[in-house]
Amino acid sequence: MLKRMLFILTFIPFLVFAQTSSQDLFISAKVNFRPLPSPPSGGGGGGGAFMPSVVPSIVLQGKAYPGAKINILIDGKLITIINADSLANFKAEIPNITPGIYTLSLWAEDKDGRKSITVSFTVSVRSGVITTISDIFLPPTIDLDKFSVARGEKLNIFGQTAPESKITISVASSEIIKETKATKYGEWKYELDTSPLEEGSHNTRAKAETPEGLSSSFSRVLTFYVGKYEAKEICPRADFNKDGKTNLIDFSIMLYWWGKYNPCVDQNQDGIVNLPDFSILLYYWTG
Amino acid sequence: MKNYNLKFKIIISSIFIFLFLPLVAKGAILYFEPSKGEYHLGDTFIVDLRVDTEEECINTVKVIVAFPKEILEAKDFSTGNSILSLWLESPKIDQKEGLISFVGGIPGGFCGPLPGEPEKPNLFGRIIFKVKEITGGQFSGKLNFLEGSQVLLNDGFGTPAKLTLKEAVFTILPEKLEVPKGEWQEELAKDDIPPEPFEIKISQDPNIFGGKYFIVFSTTDKQTGIDHYEVKEGKKNWKRTESPYLLEDQSLKSIIKVKAVDKAGNERIVEYLPPQKPFPWWIAILFGGLIILGSGYLVYKKLKFKNKTSK
Repeated sequence: MLKRMLFILTFIPFLVFAQTSSQDLFISAKVNFRPLPSPPSGGGGGGGAFMPSVVPSIVLQGKAYPGAKINILIDGKLITIINADSLANFKAEIPNITPGIYTLSLWAEDKDGRKSITVSFTVSVRSGVITTISDIFLPPTIDLDKFSVARGEKLNIFGQTAPESKITISVASSEIIKETKATKYGEWKYELDTSPLEEGSHNTRAKAETPEGLSSSFSRVLTFYVGKYEAKEICPRADFNKDGKTNLIDFSIMLYWWGKYNPCVDQNQDGIVNLPDFSILLYYWTG
Repeated sequence: MKNYNLKFKIIISSIFIFLFLPLVAKGAILYFEPSKGEYHLGDTFIVDLRVDTEEECINTVKVIVAFPKEILEAKDFSTGNSILSLWLESPKIDQKEGLISFVGGIPGGFCGPLPGEPEKPNLFGRIIFKVKEITGGQFSGKLNFLEGSQVLLNDGFGTPAKLTLKEAVFTILPEKLEVPKGEWQEELAKDDIPPEPFEIKISQDPNIFGGKYFIVFSTTDKQTGIDHYEVKEGKKNWKRTESPYLLEDQSLKSIIKVKAVDKAGNERIVEYLPPQKPFPWWIAILFGGLIILGSGYLVYKKLKFKNKTSK
């Protein structure tokens, strides 16, 4: 009977965790469609006056980190880089868009050169309409002061987000949730006590919530090791040609090795370049 | 005791099913639109392949569709307005086996339509079917996603999403209309917009093509979809190809042109101009040296002449 109860108690948290983790992937933002002002009609009588054509455009606005460089991609291609202001707000307008379905992606680089994950929004752009995606909140950047620690040693987890945001740090495999607050410059730091962690590999990630209530999705996941393990990352972030970007060239290298083995391209180290490796490449895409 | 065990298992299983199944079953739903319809012999109709992500974020899709090859001919596959912008395996139609397959991806992922989005931006692609002119009365046929179909989460680990596969059923009526339905021809006639602008990137990597130069390119078409690409190096002829393309001219002296053609025949051509190489430094030094030597010689001659005349 006791064994059965243990079985139930072990599985309930697992199932609940599976549910929360799927929601954690979801990105919150909203889209709004506003008709473009129609060009002034008739009048004048001068004849031959040039009238600007009414072409749809896309507006992206939200928060990142103070002074962050925000890279904007359309259908995976980098089209512009803008800067967030000192309060982490940004706004970009992409004019002259052909009507259709577009995937708009954004990633940011913080003041220390750390990159966020890429977040994407798929929207329909219609003729004569301004499509505005607002309330975008890019996930925080995250870094560690070391990737291997002795059990009981302190591990600094840090990064940048919007000023004075609440940061929730998650550590797995032992599911530990910690909170901290970002400074007015958006910097955040948490000193993790590794005593409760088992020896072996662990993951950590963080998400943020602004004082105004905007919530981000989770940051990228970092792996660290407790004990005598060592962190070895081969071709991190699917950057196969090591040019600091994950783009069409890395995709081409993957196509070349598709169905074969290459220690660099085989991101999940399962012995073959296949579907999960493609998914990892798309996750780290920078354009 | 055995009865007690059985009862216990049933009770526990029921608790799990009722409490947790709705949570665990969450995942992507692959479906066809329309999911049913009636068509006549000779009709051409379009079936959309769509996804409902159910609040998951996905980034990779592998789809295998089986269609009734006896009554339907898969004429084409349109990627126009697809949410997939990278095609690892382009859509392939195998009429003999009655299969259509592709592998595609969305950089940065797809998390479903945003709140406020009135349309359904969840299209993978569109299959264009033509009803075969067969005899023998009314038929019905099913479209199915096969078990090998996969959708992966945008979580950085390539985790497979739980999949629900829905089918479509079509009824083929035994007669032929005076003017058969032509949904695809109408779409082609409407499309007068070329593929989206794109650029050619040139690269070299020891990992592929033995370290030789290659180009990469990719674009989308928002109406009928990309049909194919062609490449032209210098004065050579256009060559139908795909990205990545291994350059024939490894000296990089030729102008490279890439043409993207959509299903309606609209084209967009982009060019890559080879970088202008700087003037070789050794020629500049040699030329400079000759000028100095020449000038020195002239000065020497002038001085010699002066000396001669003064004497």
